[in-house]
Amino acid sequence: MDYFTIFVEYRLRLAKRMLFNKKGSLIGAVLAVTIGILVIHVNFVIFQGLFDAIVRDISNYRNGDILVTDEADYIDKSDLSVVNWFERIPYVEAATPRLSSTAEINMTKNGKLIEETRIPIVGIDPYRDIRASTVHETVAEGSYVFARNSIVLGSNVARDLGGAEVGDSVKVLVVDRNGEDQIRRFTVTGIAQSPGGQGFDYTAVVHIDTLRDMMKRDGETGSFMIKLNDPSKALEVKEFFLRSFPNDDFLAETIEESAEEQLAGFRSGIAMINMIGYFGMMSSAFAIVTIQMMLVNGKTREIGVMRSIGAKRKDILIIFIFQGMIIGAIGAGVGTAAGLGYTFYAKETKMSFNNSLPLEVSYNWEKIIQTALTSFVLAIIASLYPSYRATKLLPVEAMRTV
Amino acid sequence: MSKIYGQGENQVNALDNVTFSIEKGEFVLIVGSSGSGKSTLLNMIGLLDRPTYGKIFIDGTDTTKLDDNKISSFRNNKLGFIFQFSNLLSDLTVLENVLLPRQIARTNNSAEEDAKKLLNAVGLENQMNKRANKISGGQAQRAAIARGLINSPSIVLADEPTGNLDSVTSEKIVQLMKTMAKELNQTFIVVTHDRQHFGDVDRVITIKDGHAFEGDLPSEVGVLV
Repeated sequence: MDYFTIFVEYRLRLAKRMLFNKKGSLIGAVLAVTIGILVIHVNFVIFQGLFDAIVRDISNYRNGDILVTDEADYIDKSDLSVVNWFERIPYVEAATPRLSSTAEINMTKNGKLIEETRIPIVGIDPYRDIRASTVHETVAEGSYVFARNSIVLGSNVARDLGGAEVGDSVKVLVVDRNGEDQIRRFTVTGIAQSPGGQGFDYTAVVHIDTLRDMMKRDGETGSFMIKLNDPSKALEVKEFFLRSFPNDDFLAETIEESAEEQLAGFRSGIAMINMIGYFGMMSSAFAIVTIQMMLVNGKTREIGVMRSIGAKRKDILIIFIFQGMIIGAIGAGVGTAAGLGYTFYAKETKMSFNNSLPLEVSYNWEKIIQTALTSFVLAIIASLYPSYRATKLLPVEAMRTV
Repeated sequence: MSKIYGQGENQVNALDNVTFSIEKGEFVLIVGSSGSGKSTLLNMIGLLDRPTYGKIFIDGTDTTKLDDNKISSFRNNKLGFIFQFSNLLSDLTVLENVLLPRQIARTNNSAEEDAKKLLNAVGLENQMNKRANKISGGQAQRAAIARGLINSPSIVLADEPTGNLDSVTSEKIVQLMKTMAKELNQTFIVVTHDRQHFGDVDRVITIKDGHAFEGDLPSEVGVLV
């Protein structure tokens, strides 16, 4: 027998045997830890998944990984030069210009004129947009914008227009830079509907050159959406861009910065939900205290025997702390496995929020390890009081317990 | 030494000015009726409880001056215990139970070998890997004797070691203790109300109403103090 056997093993063996011979208590304590961890994992999958899904959709449909705008609302630099500048950078997948305004749209359906006002309208470059954005994938009927007179209506816009369909003709009114109404007729080529409604469901999409004409903003662009092949380089690319155009009034923000602004409240909500999860974990700790107190009470006579044959208070303390460690280790293992199982299920089944927005499920290993370690440490802390109580038993009193 | 429980009107003198000494290798019986104070006396000698007044010396050490940690070490090194219900730990095997005092002592010199020798000596060589709660009462008490002897203590203290056994098994346990005491030149202090099972022993101390008397009552009465 070696050092480990002499100093640790008999206490560990006793702790293990005492615990495993009380299977009900062991299962109860392990379940308490497991449920605490599972709650954290479920919260993470749902709420962080929802947050990430919204960020994903903002990135895919509107902002890209970097969104470039101008202090003066419109960028007068040639879109081709800006796009080419970005696409020379190896981290950049694609860049595309966009122009936004609001419009009045009307159409006659079954002899009845239906008019909708204040519809957001976005001008896109059909060739470049499909490389930098996934809006085109949300076109449920028909096809994406391909010609100067084609328009894609968001599903809600189409509905509000009395059920506009592919092939219908609509009139669009936009106020130009001089304050004059500009009206054009378009043919509906597609209806867009995104899962979760984060796409262009409430928007009309037209060719960017057509919108420029209507707004009298030839050669101007509202924003550039930059898609990276390595999103982690967003800050680096953004700063490189701003450094490269020091005399222009460009503004640029990464998707993280945009999301932080847009979803600050949501993030606070996640923090609160996480806190509730950690409170749940603390409830598990109380369950461990109760179960271990029962174990200590059930082993009073054995503690008395051990003390009478020479075990010191610290030996008894260590035995019951080992029990806390065993409960914590098994609970953390089972809880993490269950949590990972749930995460795997959510990812594989493309779990969605409210049956619409597909959650962006990810394995956050830092958080997974942190949760497991926290529950393990909590289980040990929870075992301190019962262990301390065990050491306070007087051998002569403990021996009287039958 | 004296041991007083309670206060005021509820005060009980469990042991009243008891003084005696025991020599190495003696087999001493402490007898007395139920509630006479004999188990209290054994608890004092076994350092499981402290006297209200007085001192207890073991191997020249005043044990009443020791702190809790030193008392634990003292119990582990100098004392061996055999209880009425054997009090083996049911979560461990017979061998592990016997090894336990040695492991608590953190001395590892041939521990397993010694434990097996002792189990052979008490006739449990075929039971050593069984769980302690899977053997009979007599076998458990034999294992308890082996556990009491594993650290070669100065004194083995036995509290009603046959109190829970039938007469045949009791006889065997008594003989075993006597044999071990003789072979190992081991001091045994045995508390019992079952005087006749022990037959001839080196010495008998009778406890009556908290007082200690030399010899069996009523024929040989000599108050120790």
